[in-house]
Amino acid sequence: MARYIIRRLLWSVLLLGIVSAVVFVLFYVFPSADPAQLRAGRQANADQIAAIRESLGLDQSILTQFWIYIKGVFTPLDLPGTDSHGPLYFGRSYQSNADVKDVIFSDLPATGLLVFGAVVVWLAVAFPVGIISAIRQRTLLDRSTMITTLIFISAPVFWLGLVALYLFSKDVGVFPIFPGIGSYSQADDFLGRVGSMLLPWAVLAAATAAIYARYLRSQMIDVMEEDYIRTARAKGLPERRVIARHVLRSAVTPIVTLLGLDVAVLLAGNAILTETVFNIPGVGAETFNAIKRSDLPMIQGITLFGAFFIVTLNLLVDIAYAYLDPRVRYR
Amino acid sequence: MRQRLLQIVILGTAVVAAVALAACGSDGSSDSSSESADAGATDAAQEEFAAPTVPPEDAQEGGELTVIAASDVDYIDPGASYYQFSYMVTSATQSTLVGWAPEDVELPTPLLADSEPEVSEDGLTVTYTIRDDVMYSPPVDRAVVAADVKYAIERSLLPGVPNGYTQTYLADVTGIDKAIKEAQDNATGGAPDISGITAPDDTTLEIQLDDTSSIGVIGALSLPVSAPVPPEYAEEFDAENPSTYGENGVSTGPYMIENDPQTGELTGYTPNKEIHLVRNPNWEASAADFRPAYLDEITIQEGFADTVSASKKVLAGNGLVNGDFTTPPSAIKQAATEGEPGQLTLTPSGGNRYIALNTQIAPFDDPDVRKAVIANANRVDLRNTRGGELTGPVMSHVLPPEFPGHDEAGGLEGPAELDYLANPEGDPDLAAEYMKKAGFDSGKCEGSVCELNMVGDDSPPGSDTAAVAENQLEELGFDVNYQKVTHDIMYTRFCSVPDNAPQVCPNVGWLKDFNDGQSMIDPTFNGDNVVPENNSNWPQLDVPEINDAINEAKLIDDLDERNQAWADVDAMIMEQAAFIPYIWDDQANIQSADVAGVINKFNANWDLAYTSLKP
Repeated sequence: MARYIIRRLLWSVLLLGIVSAVVFVLFYVFPSADPAQLRAGRQANADQIAAIRESLGLDQSILTQFWIYIKGVFTPLDLPGTDSHGPLYFGRSYQSNADVKDVIFSDLPATGLLVFGAVVVWLAVAFPVGIISAIRQRTLLDRSTMITTLIFISAPVFWLGLVALYLFSKDVGVFPIFPGIGSYSQADDFLGRVGSMLLPWAVLAAATAAIYARYLRSQMIDVMEEDYIRTARAKGLPERRVIARHVLRSAVTPIVTLLGLDVAVLLAGNAILTETVFNIPGVGAETFNAIKRSDLPMIQGITLFGAFFIVTLNLLVDIAYAYLDPRVRYR
Repeated sequence: MRQRLLQIVILGTAVVAAVALAACGSDGSSDSSSESADAGATDAAQEEFAAPTVPPEDAQEGGELTVIAASDVDYIDPGASYYQFSYMVTSATQSTLVGWAPEDVELPTPLLADSEPEVSEDGLTVTYTIRDDVMYSPPVDRAVVAADVKYAIERSLLPGVPNGYTQTYLADVTGIDKAIKEAQDNATGGAPDISGITAPDDTTLEIQLDDTSSIGVIGALSLPVSAPVPPEYAEEFDAENPSTYGENGVSTGPYMIENDPQTGELTGYTPNKEIHLVRNPNWEASAADFRPAYLDEITIQEGFADTVSASKKVLAGNGLVNGDFTTPPSAIKQAATEGEPGQLTLTPSGGNRYIALNTQIAPFDDPDVRKAVIANANRVDLRNTRGGELTGPVMSHVLPPEFPGHDEAGGLEGPAELDYLANPEGDPDLAAEYMKKAGFDSGKCEGSVCELNMVGDDSPPGSDTAAVAENQLEELGFDVNYQKVTHDIMYTRFCSVPDNAPQVCPNVGWLKDFNDGQSMIDPTFNGDNVVPENNSNWPQLDVPEINDAINEAKLIDDLDERNQAWADVDAMIMEQAAFIPYIWDDQANIQSADVAGVINKFNANWDLAYTSLKP
């Protein structure tokens, strides 16, 4: 088991190294707006732009820049021209000069509240819908819930967000029920922040709940056709017990895996549309701003941070699988 | 109630008429009276939604205003801040030598200075007398002295304080070249000394010039770079590159960004999220400071990326105004038809937008081809891609409305003698004539020279403008390769880099730095200013007579003579047909019904130091 974990850890580090290189190439080598010109202002002359380029370290060769970057992210070595060092040093924002890591950490609480609340909502919706549809398959109820889920899956999140705002938010909605755009920042306490998340939770959960409901339904239908379920029923176990103790338990395992990855992806900034529509100051909104301003260290930091989340959660899931199923360790 | 209904009906009719007028412009028909009709409609709109520039007599003191913004300021450090939204903050938190009161159009009003600057007989010395009663906010808590302004200007040369305009407008200040070099050689060695700027005593600031460019210098010093900075406090922050003074800055205006009163570190500024202004405890109202400062607190809430819903929030909410975004067309329509009177205001922004034709590359190195393209262009259609008549009049020359030299250059109608600008809806017959003059017998472009590269925005409204331009060029026989990129990439990798510049840049434009023709014309049409990167002369116009005329106009220190000179240069530029002019932007600002907003005409945005909440 220990060897398996070490092997997986080494693979994860290698994977993060590859992701770092790809991200660096994507943002620094491929064409993007020139950060020095953007920072200099529209009337700055060549010397001023050169000075800014130097202060941002952009005058150095691509390989040197990459080495400094890798040193900052992965090692505790000193970085030339700064009083900072790694590990987990992603650089400073071109726009605000803030430490990228500090910005990401300050954005995490908002994103965390959004994601974990949405998870609760989508699981609370997906499980009953999936179970009922599986049990009552091919009935009118099953068909109508599946069509409804399909609609939610097809609806773009930003569109759903705007519709929700224009219908139910207190500031621009026809039925002013829930706190509206930007209410998270204005909330004074935790309860206020929870209140400001009600609409975003519903929007972020809508599509995912629909996917999970369909997935759970399909898993349950497969399991219900297994011999051991038929045996359980033949032995006279009550149907409720068969579903809860045997069918659901088997069907839910792949959903837990899926959930781990979905949470990681959302924490990594993939709630960008929901955060942008509702003006929630989280990692996704930060990503949006960074892209708009060609703030490369910020984009890079968030991307790598996200990759770190995904790789780590993936690693934990793999280790859990290996613990539960010895065959995995020997593959 | 009946009166309100009548108002709505009249407003609705006006908007429908405006939309119909805009739609008429798109049928391609030629109508010689359309420009004056457009100008007339614009005048009506201007009158209907005129920007309030004085507060109500019973303006209420106290209360909190929230400014709804999409993005953050460019820099929180007044030494580097350069754009409209940043000025909205600095005009409330800083006291520049002279400042722009809401109604100021031509000249700024003394603010930190106790009177207009004095210019010596020979035009080579500018002297400001500084007030002795202006105090810094905590933790500095002392009176401002002239040496602080000298330091503020000098630190703006540091690479760590990326000021985008000082070196341009203060180029004739004695000793500035040496100081620039010193700053660049030692970026963390502190602000360099500019020998031509001296503070002989606490209230006198003298600026020595090598040439008679005092008006440009005075104009530039109306911007935040002249906001005083206490050296003994700021030197520590300026020794870093980039400087961290911005995150620890102190104020001299009626408001300050909330800070830790012991250390000075700003606690009221979170980049991309919020700026919280509170009253500066060391500021006192006085006859010498024109700002009434009614509000107690101002919160600038950022991150409203969807400006449509942000505008709806402002219109339906309480105590809200828009910040850095111009109101989108759908919200303008809503405000015009459903809003309370005064919720929508239109202000000429002092800016223009045009489609640059690269005069250095075929086929646009031929003036007749350029004239043909302009003659064929339906500029009303192009303008409508920005939102129609309420977003501003069709541009007919460089200097914008309500700007010195605009009337002298032909007003809204523009230069009457230029036939290719005579019909804003386009004149295909005239275009064909010019194409024939250029050697295309069919009246349309033919051959490989007609393959054009155009680099424009990848998102509306810029991409809409580019798409219309593409169609109009293809009508004349051109084969357009439209490369879509982000707005920043368009500038920094293509249109502002002459070596990579395409034949057509459809999404360029310029906003004044201050109210003088130099800030509109010199960076954008002086051939001497075509530089390898960060170039703003997008058509790459390089005509020696125009360059000379610009360089001479910069040195005229009589205002009337100067305005006429810029108008003459404007006419010379338009004769070159180097771009398709299509809009002088009006800034559409909105406020909640309970806000008594005052617009600052210079900044074309809400003046936070004049705005109040209705009783």
